[in-house]
Formats: sequence, C-alpha cells, structure tokens
Amino acid sequence: MTAEQEFDFIRDSLDHCVKCTICETACPVAAVTPLFPGPKYEGPQAERLRGAGPSVDASLDYCSSCGICTLACPQGVHVAEINSRARAVMKQQHGIPIRDQLIARPPLQGKLGTPVAPLANFVLSNRLARLVAEKTVGIHRNAPVPKFAGRTFRSWARRHPAPATAGTRRVAYFHGCSTNYFEPGLGEKAVAVLAHNGCRVVLPRQECCGLPLQSNGIFDSARSYVRRLVAGLAPYARQGYTIVATSTSCGLMLKREAREILGVEDDDLRVVSSQTYDICEFLADLDLAGELKTDFQPVPLTVTYHAPCQQQGHNIGKPALDLLGLIPELTVIELDRACCGIAGTYGLKREKYDIAMQVGSGLFGDIRAAEPDLAVCDSETCRWQITHGTGRTSVHPVEVMYRAYGLS
Amino acid sequence: MEEGRNQNVRLGGVAATGAAVECEVLVVGGGSTGVGVARDAAMRGFSTVLVERGDLATGTTGRFHGLLHSGGRYCVKDPQAARECIAENVVLRRIAADCIEDTGGLFVTTPIDDPDYADRFVAGCQATGIPVEEIPVAEALRREPRLNPRISRALVVPDATADAWKTVWTCARSAMEYGAKILPYHEVIAVTKDGDQVTGVIARGQDGAEVQIRAQVTVNASGAWAGRIAAMADCKVQISPGKGIMIATNHRLVQTVVNRCVMPADGDILVPIRTVSVIGTTDITVDDPDDWAITRTEINQMLESGENLVPGFTSSRAMRVWGGVRPLFQDHAPAESRDVTRAHAVLDHRARDGVGGFLTITGGKFCTFRLMAQDAVDAAGKVLGVTRPCRTADEPLPDSQERRFYQLSSRLAEREQTLLDEQLICECELVRRGRLEDEAARRPAPSLDDLRRAVRLGMGPCQGGFCMYRATGILHQTKHLSGAEADRALLAFLEERWKGYYPLLHGDQLRQAWLDNWIFQGVLDVQHLPLADQPRQQETATGQAT
Amino acid sequence: MNGPPGARYPDVIVLGAGLSGLVAAIRLAEAGLRVVTVAKGYGSMRLSPATIDILGYRPDPVDSPAQALPGFAAAHPEHPYALIGPDTLADSVQWLKEHVGTYAYVGDPGENMLLPTAIGVPRPSAVAPETMAGGDVRRAGPLLIAGLGVLKDFHPSIAAENLQAATTAYGRAVQARPVMLHPSANGPADVNSLGLARQFEDGAFRSAVAAELRAAVRGEETIGLPAVLGMDQARSVWTELQQAVGRPVFEIPTAVPPSVPGMRLARALQDRLRRAGGRFVFGAQAVGPELRNGKLAGVRIRSAARVTPRMCRWVVLATGGLGAGGIEVDLSGAVSEHSLGLPVHAPGPGETGFLPGYLSDHPMDTAGLRVDHTLRPVGPDGEPVYPNAYAAGAVIGGARPWREKSGDGISLSTGYLAADAILKEAG
Repeated sequence: MTAEQEFDFIRDSLDHCVKCTICETACPVAAVTPLFPGPKYEGPQAERLRGAGPSVDASLDYCSSCGICTLACPQGVHVAEINSRARAVMKQQHGIPIRDQLIARPPLQGKLGTPVAPLANFVLSNRLARLVAEKTVGIHRNAPVPKFAGRTFRSWARRHPAPATAGTRRVAYFHGCSTNYFEPGLGEKAVAVLAHNGCRVVLPRQECCGLPLQSNGIFDSARSYVRRLVAGLAPYARQGYTIVATSTSCGLMLKREAREILGVEDDDLRVVSSQTYDICEFLADLDLAGELKTDFQPVPLTVTYHAPCQQQGHNIGKPALDLLGLIPELTVIELDRACCGIAGTYGLKREKYDIAMQVGSGLFGDIRAAEPDLAVCDSETCRWQITHGTGRTSVHPVEVMYRAYGLS
Repeated sequence: MEEGRNQNVRLGGVAATGAAVECEVLVVGGGSTGVGVARDAAMRGFSTVLVERGDLATGTTGRFHGLLHSGGRYCVKDPQAARECIAENVVLRRIAADCIEDTGGLFVTTPIDDPDYADRFVAGCQATGIPVEEIPVAEALRREPRLNPRISRALVVPDATADAWKTVWTCARSAMEYGAKILPYHEVIAVTKDGDQVTGVIARGQDGAEVQIRAQVTVNASGAWAGRIAAMADCKVQISPGKGIMIATNHRLVQTVVNRCVMPADGDILVPIRTVSVIGTTDITVDDPDDWAITRTEINQMLESGENLVPGFTSSRAMRVWGGVRPLFQDHAPAESRDVTRAHAVLDHRARDGVGGFLTITGGKFCTFRLMAQDAVDAAGKVLGVTRPCRTADEPLPDSQERRFYQLSSRLAEREQTLLDEQLICECELVRRGRLEDEAARRPAPSLDDLRRAVRLGMGPCQGGFCMYRATGILHQTKHLSGAEADRALLAFLEERWKGYYPLLHGDQLRQAWLDNWIFQGVLDVQHLPLADQPRQQETATGQAT
Repeated sequence: MNGPPGARYPDVIVLGAGLSGLVAAIRLAEAGLRVVTVAKGYGSMRLSPATIDILGYRPDPVDSPAQALPGFAAAHPEHPYALIGPDTLADSVQWLKEHVGTYAYVGDPGENMLLPTAIGVPRPSAVAPETMAGGDVRRAGPLLIAGLGVLKDFHPSIAAENLQAATTAYGRAVQARPVMLHPSANGPADVNSLGLARQFEDGAFRSAVAAELRAAVRGEETIGLPAVLGMDQARSVWTELQQAVGRPVFEIPTAVPPSVPGMRLARALQDRLRRAGGRFVFGAQAVGPELRNGKLAGVRIRSAARVTPRMCRWVVLATGGLGAGGIEVDLSGAVSEHSLGLPVHAPGPGETGFLPGYLSDHPMDTAGLRVDHTLRPVGPDGEPVYPNAYAAGAVIGGARPWREKSGDGISLSTGYLAADAILKEAG
C-alpha cells in the first residue's frame, strides 16, 4: 500500500460510520462544551461535505485530539485521525499562531531552557510573566507548563553507559523530549527497571517525534521530525532491538499516528513501528510469558491509576494495572475516566484552558476522593495536569516498579 | 448559497376548489422540461398552469446522475446534441449558478478503452465548439489521486454537475413568481378535445377530486411518458424509454466528473454530485417506463465500471441504487437505445396528427431543458398567434443572481453559524429543522419522500435511520400530518428506502441497515403502529428494483 | 498445560463488550478466572433501550415469555432459544438483577409489560429498569407524555396519539396527552439525550422541569418523560423528580442513539467486571484464531502497529451479528465470521438474502453461527469446531430479534450459559 492509498484508507474509514453516536457519548470535550459539536459531526459527517475549497468549520479546532472517539468506535472509523487532518488543513489556511509554533517544539524549548533552568523556571512560575505570556502569545496563565530539570537525561546516560555484559534482551530506549529535558529521573528509573529485567539498553540518537507539531496542525514540520527520528531508530530495529518508549503518546506517534495522521509511509517507519512498545506493554508481555522479575518489595501505598487517552490509543488495555498488581501491599485504584483534559498542548491554550480543566474535573475529583499517596499515569503532560488539578504527586508506573524493585 | 428560501411559494391546492381552471398554456409534466416550459411561458406573460402526476422532478429528472454535460460525451457520435449541450452549459452556468457545481470534467483513456478514440474526441470537441485541453497523466492523477494510474490520456472539458431537484424547484418558484400555477400530484386522466382541437385536460388530485383545466395550447412535456399522454389526444409519439441505473457511493471519490474517453457506453461516467459519487449508467430499452427492474447483473456491471475508473471502488461503500428512463424520441421503429439521438424535437400535432392546440416536446436531456422550453414556448406562441421574446437565457434563477456556483461545503458553512441555535434533523446531509418545517409548510400533505428530495432529508449514509423519526414527530407536532398520516408516511418512507438499497446490501451499508432496523423495528416497534393500515404496496414501481 | 512454565496467560478471552460478552465475562471473573475482554469499540449496549426483551411476538403477541418459550423453541429448532431452558433464562434474569447495582430492574419472564416507545407503540418487555416500568399500559391510568423542546429524539404528540390508539385497539384505552417542556430557554437549541441526562443531574434544572410539570399535570396522570433522567445518579434523579412533581414519573426510551438507559447499563456492568478483576482491551480486533498443533490456543489480536497472538484457555465469541460486524457480508454475497474464522449459516452468494418488502422475513435476518448445546460453534458436521470456543449473543444465528423482541433475552441467557459451560470445565 502506498502512502497515498494508506492516507485514503484512513479517510475512507468514514464509510464505516453508521452514525451510532457512540463516539459522541465518549467524547470528553463535547461533554463539557457545546462549542464542539462532537467527533461524529466533525469526523465522518462533516468530512463528506469538505471539498477541495476553503475550510469552513472552525468549530473543529475545539477537538483536543485525545483519540477517544477512534477508541470507542465499534465500526472502525478513524474519527480522530480524520479530524486531525481536517484541522491541519484548516490551520494551514487560516494561519498557525506563533503560540502554537512555539509549544509544538519541545526540543527548542529544551535547548533554550535547560542551560538557564533556574531563570526559565522562575519566569514560568512568575504570575506577572505568565500574565504577559497569556496576553501576548495566548498560553493560559494557570496552565501546567513543565519545569526544566536543568540537566538532560542524555547527559546522565553518557555518564552511565550500560555494562557490555548486561542483559540479553536488546532494547533501544526511546525517551522522548520530556524525559530528556523535564523528567530525566524517569529515564534513569526506566533504564534501571529494564536492566533489572535482563535488558541491555542502548540509547539511539533521537530528537522530537513531531507529535506536538502534528497536534497543532503543522504537518510538514511534523513529518520531517518523525522521519528524522525513525531514521535514527530504524538501524536498531533492523538489528532486532525492541524500541521501548516511556512517553506513551510519542510511542503512539511511532506506532500509528505518523502513518495514519501524517501519511508518512516508508521502510524505516514500518520497521520501527512494528517493534515499538510502550514500556508497560513490554514489561507486561514479559510477565505474561513468565519472564518478568517479580522480586518486588512491599510498597505499602495507595495509588490511583489513570490510563491516559494516548495510552488507550495503543489498543493494549491497561498493562500498568497488571504490573502494579504484582507489587505486594500496593493498593491500586483504577480510575475509569477518559481524559485529564490537557491532551498534549490543548490545555495550555488560553481559549481551551477552561475546557481542559472541565474535562479533567471528573478525574481530579476521583483522585481527590481516593486520597492516594501517588497518582500514577503513563503520560507526562497528563501527570503535570493531574498535579495541577489535584495537588497530588503524579508518577509513571515504572517509577513505582523501580521503587518496588528496591533499585533506588 | 443554500436552497430553501422558498417560503413565499405554496404548491397545489387548486383541485380542492373544484373549479375549472383557465389558462393560455397548460404544461403536462413536472420534470425539468415541463417546469422550464412553465417558467418560460409565464415569463413571456402567458397565463400558465403545470400539472404533474407526482411530486416535481420525480420522473427522469430526479433520477439521473447530475451531470451537466459539456457535450464531450456526444461530440463524435451526435454532434448536434453536443453543440446544444455546450451552448446550454454556458447558459446554465450564467442563469443557474446556484444549482451548479463547477467541478470540471475529465475524459480519460483507461486500459480497456480504444487508445485511438482520444484523437477523434479532440477533433470532435473542436468541431462542435467544446473547449478541450489535454493534460499530462501525472497532472490528472494529481488532481484526482484515486484515478486509475494506468490511464494513458487525460482531456479536460467544462463538464459540471447540477442538482436537478434544486434546479426544478427553483424554476418552479420563479414560474410561480411570474404567476404560473404549479400543481404537483395532479395526474392527467384525460385530454379534452373539441373536435380536432385539444382544449385542456382533466387531472385527478391527491384527494381523488378531479379538476378540469382549459387551455388554449397544451404542451406535453411528460418525457418518457409522452407517448401515453399523446395517445390520450389520439396522437402518436414514439418514445423509446431507455433505462439507466446508477449507484451512489457514501462519499465523493472524485471531485471532477470523470468520463471514459470512448464512444458512449455503459458505465462510462463517475459524477461527483453533492456529497456522493454516482457511477452510471446502463442503457436498456424497456417497454413501459413504469415497469422495469434493476438486476444484480447490472449492479455488478456498474461497480466493475467504477473499479476501472477508480481502483478500490468496489470496496467503497455503495449506498443506494436507482434507475431512470430516458425519453429517447424517434420517428421510426426503435433501434438500440444508445443509437437514438439525444437532441430534442418539438412536435406540433396539427401537422402530424391533425390535432390542434397540442404540442409535444420530447427527446433532449437535462442540460438542454431550457432550450427545449424555449423552442416549445416559441411553438406555443405560434399556436396562440403571439410572438414574445424568450428571456430565460439571460434572466438568472432566484438565488443565482450573484452567479456564484454551489460549493460542496455550503451546508457545513451554514451549519457552523447555527450550531447553538437550531436543531439538526438530518445529520448526514445537515438539514436544519427550520428548513424542514419551511418546506413542509409549502405542501398540502407532505410525504417524507417528497421532503427527502426537496431538502435532502435522509439522503445520506444512514438513509433516514436517524432523521425519519424526528421528521415524523415534528410534522405531527406542527400539525402537517395527522397521526394516521404520520404513521403511514413513516412506513412508506421505510419501504421506499429499503427498495433503494436492498439489491446491493453488503458491507458497511448492511451494518447501517441493521442499525436502522434495530431503531425502527426493535426500539420503536413500527410494525405495530396502530394508525397505519398494513403498509400499502407501491402502486407504481418506477425506478424501483423488484 | 498453557504456555511456558511461569506463564500468566489469562484463562478466558471474551471477544466483544455488548450484553452477552459482559455477562459472560463478569460471571467468569467473579468465579475467579482471569478474564480479558477485547472489543473493537464500546459495545452496542449504549444504543439499546436497556429493557430486557425476552419474547414479545411469535409473531402474535406473547403475554408470558416463560409459558411461550417451550412451544416457541419446539417450533423453531434453529433458534437460540431451542438451546436455552426456561430455568437458565430465569436464572440469567435473576443474575442480571443482582449485578446492576443501583440501576434496579423489575419484572420477570413470567409476563410481559407493555412499555410505550417514543412513537407510542406499547412494546412487550419482560424485564425493564424500574424507571420505565411505570409506563406499563396494562396497568397505567391517564398519561401525560412530556417532551423537552431541545430534544429532537422524542416527540410527545405522536407518541401520545399512537399510544391512545394502540391501547384502544387492545381493549384497554389509556388516555394520553402531550406536553412540551422548555426548562432552559437560553441554552443550546440542540441537546442530545446524554447531554440532557447530564443536565438532569443538576438540581436547579430538575426544579425547573418539575415546576413546568406541576403546572401541566392534571388529576391522576402519570408522567412519561424521555429516558434522560440522569446518568450516574439516575435513581435519585428519578426519585426526587417524582417527589417534586407529586406524581409518578416513568421513562420512555428515546428513538435513536445514544440511549441513556443503555449507557447506564453498560456502565453498571463494566464497573462490575472491573471490580471483579476483569480487564478490557478497547480498540483492538480479533483477526483470527491462534492455533497450536491444530488446537485453539488463543486469538490473534490487532492493536496499534501489529497483530499479536494472545494466549488463553477459552474463548467466548460475543462479537455480535450483522449489525455489529461479528458476521459480515461481502460484495459477492459471501457471509463470514472473521474473529475465529468460523463457518456461518446463511444464504450463500447467488442465493436470495433480501426480499423487496421492508418488513418481510428476509432470509439473511437469521444469518449466524450454529452452536451445540453448550454454545460451542459447530461446523457443517454438527461437531464443535474448537472444544474451547463458545459463542454468545447475536453472533449466534437463527433469531429475528427485532421482530420477536428477543435480542436481550438471547444475549443475556447465552452469555450466562457460555460462562456456565466454561466454569464446569474449569471445575
């Protein structure tokens, strides 16, 4: 199948729509605002009326790209993908705000912010500075922007190379931008957990996967970002390395969004895609095969677990639940909420912030009610949003495993 | 601009008075030709009445694929028809822009086509005045990425698509604004004569009441049914009804009209019209324009034709199949239907049959309807002894004054403005509640199928599954339908829809049909609607598969 | 016996998250088995009015499904009910009532209620949410059918007129009259049933509705409202509304999806399964059996990026019928089942699947799997295709669920029975 045909294959999935409305009942955005007419309307319905002419349905911009509609569709319509592509056309025609250009480029932020982290963090937490940022570029003053770590994961990794003798499972770790610039500790723990399970972890050269660009409708740049990334990962995949990701949304970019939304189709992507695993998926598969180390120490804590929308897009269920369930004395409360609202960069935007917070309000309420020691969640932007919405510390599942393995 | 601003015009209702109606020009037939004649005659100041046995545009006009010919299709085989097409193509773009989408057309040589025809085609276009430009195959594929990549030639002509219903309704509205009376659901049961002079007709209304319409000249514009009307006046008109079937896909696969560059043949055209693509068509001579069937073989033939133009066509969602009968006129015994000229003729029956005050306008095609009307009214003027100039080539139809072509996205753009303010009744075709209610208010007893044609209610993928309960409930609540009428209307619509898709049910459309069944039979239990009699079998099977 | 030493494969993979799949999965999980439910999307229960219709027409109206079933089964040996004894059916109904949490159900297979539809047809259902049961026209007094102006999927005028006509024809005329409510003048004009259900959970909105109803209701009327009275708090919304109006209130399922009662039931059952330790995999599709030495060892599941064999001891196939895509018909007319590649009993290519009349009995209606007495799909020889694969719900052929009003009863009882069969084997 050529890229063009694959592209059409995704769009043509609108033919499967029987109008059943299940996507609309699942849509977290339509649930809180009438400004978004819903995924069925914007997706398979409106797509039939979109010609080659100008984009006429600005309401499409309220879609957060969470992908729950595609997940929910019992007929196989790629609702979110159709919407993302239509929105990209719209944004190309209407012009992409400087704000979206900025927040869509984490490596740029990282490279600028990391060396001057204290200053950058001060600015980001300064009310006046944030008010100015809201007025000038449209990033909401209260939105949960991450803090720069002041060091990068890659600099740590250079100082801590894997011993040549370590492990027989060959894993290439795809850490993503956020781990590198904002949460290097997560990367350190992920490497340790993988190594503990007999993985020999290598760190391919890598840059941004282009997901924020894609979700902001900047497809051309997103395509070149993801092509560059897979070109770096493909040699490892061809040598039989499993590519393991801790950023569940960036992993999903490699698995299917690059192909289904951006229309990228090449051998590099194909081989990388088929060998990319979310870290919990990878570890849970080891567990299914009876090969996961289960020498867990008791962790007498109560945690909530929220599977973010992008994690659900992997269509693998919630492997983190199975993994956390192996840890003695750990009480895990599964939260049945679709989305925290942030949806990558959506909730940062001045005009979307309130919607995002309303989307997340159910989740926040559940977490507050559960009074957990930690709120566990696979996706970085969701963790920041959860902390913003609840005041609770939020961690990735492997951070809990790291602790249970006694690796600290 | 969107249609639906017809609020000032109400239809029908004359029969109820029981009074005789007098006019100068009486038109029999409410297709594009008949309505065109009525508008032309009214614009020339003749008092005009039109009778139609069903709703407007429910015969051949409402049952074609929507192509506004450039004439390219006929440029080699039937140059006269081609010249008429291109001339009228230009006129209609000027006067009916709102009903036309300027899609452009491509003639492509596919792997199964005679490679030499393209040169004859170019010569034919040049000879008949059709603008034609050859473009590289790669450019054609860039414009239409789904097109068969193995095409060898690609020629651009000014084909377009036209919404036949919208055109007819807008013409009718204009005719009424000029004083014409338009009487749908008035079936001619007799042509009245005084000696060898036709004096009008007796028509039966929906309620069974008969109305006498007296006219100085009667114009038979009943298309494929013209022989039947003529016979009522003891005149002979030989029509060779040519059946063509068409299949609509769930969404547009091409944005340009795509023709096979061959002599006219079955399955030679794929037309993007409104939200769908239509593959057409066959051409089989039938005996009776009201009695014929669609066969599985024809359906498969059309789907395979689609596959030849657009690989993957057969796996896309086929939504609905229907057929129409072309009114091909010939003076001699019928030959193969494709060999009959597509040009039109005005027959003055005084000369042919010794019957005065009676004209038949026949042959032709949708895109020449205005010219046909002009010729017919010219002839009527002669009969009346009055010469008044035709103005239909210059005066735009209502809503077309600004000469902006219809855009596929117009309803989406319109809906965007009313997202919070108005209910959306048909979600597939974005029919607003106001549009439905306005249209219902213009009709004495609206059937859901009439509303479907008028506002595209239930024309989309779910084929009424989601909007028909809504429409029934609204029409009952607003007292346009009594309880019994509502129950019957809903069941009649469900029967009608079923007939349009059961012959090709598979894949996605089958899943849709099952969900619709669940809604109507499972959830609503329409089988046990108390006020409907057993659903009546359709008396006429026009265009329905059997 | 199942995979390499130490492997922790689930015991059962249930394919499909509709009524039958959820019932089977909950029973199995509550019995201590490890169950994974794999579904292409959210289940079709969200489209269902959530009544449990067991048998309404055969085609004459059925007063008591329990009494009618033996005769019906004998007359229709290919029907799934021919495999379901009356006891199993009654047990499964009882089981459901005990597993829906606060979303209480009433009724039993002993008699059909006649509950109004949104177009006013009294429809036979044996078991229904308690919020709907008050509409049973066999017992109802005069009715006030109330719609909401913003809701296009419920029209009280046509419902009331038909209801009155239908009950008159049945010999027990029920007076019914319509009223349209407009409690939120400034909100959006177009709100679907789910949106209204959310609004009904707001006390101020409820008060506004109650005030309009108090003004409209006369004498001893019972009030029928569209089934939008709350989502998670449906029971308290319903109770409070009745108190506020001072008259009994019942719900009528809306005409087209989404169905609020269906969503309530789906949520209740999914929560139940989660609490029993069941796992869901949504957005994934079974694309074929995973065979080891000719035996069914698992299911091939397509998720993002790849197809993976997922191993298990038993498979429950609850993927639905022609509507859900559990059974598919292609252009040639060939009918097939893709999740496990099982043989389907249906009209073949070239045979007549559909007749010209919409309400005819179409040969294709009954397309589906044939199963043995423990619900294992069988081949043409009548023998189970796999000893460890079971079917439940609409994927089993032989019924005309919308005509018979039998779909929920079939799904519930076959889901229940499939779990039974596996539990017996699991010991």
